Amino acid sequence: MIMPVMIIIMGIFILGLFMGLLQSLGYFKAIGLTEITLDYYKEVLSSKDFLSSLGFSLYVSIVSSLIAVVLGIVLAYSIVQRKGKGRLAEVIFKIPISVPHIVAVLLVYNILSQSGILPRLLYALGLIRDSSSFPSLIYDRRGIGIMITYLWKEIPFVAMVVYTVLDNINERLTEVALNLGASRRQAFFHVILPLILPSAFSAFIIIFAFSFGAYEVPFLLGPTTPKTLPVKAYVEYINPNFANRPYAMVINMIVTFICLGLVWLYFKAFKWISKYTGDFNG
Amino acid sequence: MARKGIVFRIITYAAAFLLAVPLLVILVWSFANNWPWPLVFPKEFGLRGWEYFFSPTSNSISILLYSILLSLTVTLITLLVTIPASRALALYEFKGKKLVEILILAPLIVSPVAVAMGIHQLFIKLRLANTFFGVVLVHLIPCIPYSVRILKNIFESVGDKFQMQGKVLGASPIQNFIYVTLPIISPGILSAASLVFTVSFSQYFLTFLIGGGRIITYPMVMFPFVQSGDRMLASVYSIVFILASLICLRSMDRLLKKYYKRGDYFYL
Repeated sequence: MIMPVMIIIMGIFILGLFMGLLQSLGYFKAIGLTEITLDYYKEVLSSKDFLSSLGFSLYVSIVSSLIAVVLGIVLAYSIVQRKGKGRLAEVIFKIPISVPHIVAVLLVYNILSQSGILPRLLYALGLIRDSSSFPSLIYDRRGIGIMITYLWKEIPFVAMVVYTVLDNINERLTEVALNLGASRRQAFFHVILPLILPSAFSAFIIIFAFSFGAYEVPFLLGPTTPKTLPVKAYVEYINPNFANRPYAMVINMIVTFICLGLVWLYFKAFKWISKYTGDFNG
Repeated sequence: MARKGIVFRIITYAAAFLLAVPLLVILVWSFANNWPWPLVFPKEFGLRGWEYFFSPTSNSISILLYSILLSLTVTLITLLVTIPASRALALYEFKGKKLVEILILAPLIVSPVAVAMGIHQLFIKLRLANTFFGVVLVHLIPCIPYSVRILKNIFESVGDKFQMQGKVLGASPIQNFIYVTLPIISPGILSAASLVFTVSFSQYFLTFLIGGGRIITYPMVMFPFVQSGDRMLASVYSIVFILASLICLRSMDRLLKKYYKRGDYFYL
């Protein structure tokens, strides 16, 4: 019963990664490279250009994912606290899912670019003198445009994940804590938060990995330099000189290793926590 | 206490506002023939963008339909392969189960860019690159984990007691599947199908690389307008994208409900 899925996963996903790995190690038969070597890794890892891309990618993904998780938890908690939940919550969760990243890019561009709605409003209110006195948040080296696009999609995603957990545990446990003399704040930080932490952390990994490995948003809204790693890998990949392919694959493999390393850390962290707390079911 | 309630209310409404306003802005942009800086409202409304979209020269409608067909194919295949796998993962113990689960969920974590570039060479050799089927195949990768996550959950909550009943009452495995299993898991199938369709329909990079510019899907036609900052046309295309996916999801919902509207299913 699991055969069909496994054929697809092994035949495309694993094989694709494996062939990428081989090429990153300099094995690329089509152009006569048959020697396994770590030279490409050494070369890429010592290139300044690569390091600044790595730094930029890590910075954009970590900052946007952290903010998304924190605000997502706040939003989910607020929705649960508002007693008459229902439709509004559903709208909040569903809009960003059916809007693809390309459209999300347009939304952010329309509002935050120097001729967008926000600077127009500020101008109308007399708060800025012309469009260029509005800070450039798009194509900027701080990656603000990229991060806001991700946040627009990801905060509701995190909220939805956390909401599912919160909705199942909320009432009773908080009441018990309050009865035992905890303040609302204590009840949140010592009772609710530990319970939603595992799912919030896994949501963090998913959105981090997505943004770290994604091409569209940084391609459309990012600065010319530094490029994020997937954009840089693609630039190397389409180089007409096939001898450049291994460099693209090295970048891809480094992206993959970092994401897998994070998942490994996740499992380690929860094993470590459960060692000290017995189990993690609360 | 009451003051606290207001804070939560404000946060919720602020979130809804920040999600909705940008969509209203593109709606206005799509009807704006002329909207120069620094006007807060367009100078001149018109249908120029929509006329372009519906004109035969832009070819948009047929590309949209082609794209929908491609994503429906992806959805169908994903469901066909993930329903049995999810059932196995939910109900049975077998050797290597943990590894299978990790492999199935791994595409959520690993960059599709890395996978696509790795497999591209092989797809070219097998003549799968630049074909409809090749693009469908590569779309399956990001879709499978979502579908398995949803379906596995529903199989776990339903268990296999109803199948046992069917078996005891003499249903063949096929009858059992069609008349017992499918109706019970239909809500799960619907949410899996919706999510898979959305993931496939939104795909840009995988289509663009494996399709090699021969297989043109809707996001690929949209991309240049967003890239060049042509707000009016990009807005028109975006609105159509959102509407089209809502209509597709709605029809899937209807279709499934019509099929299985023979009373309540009593799981949970």
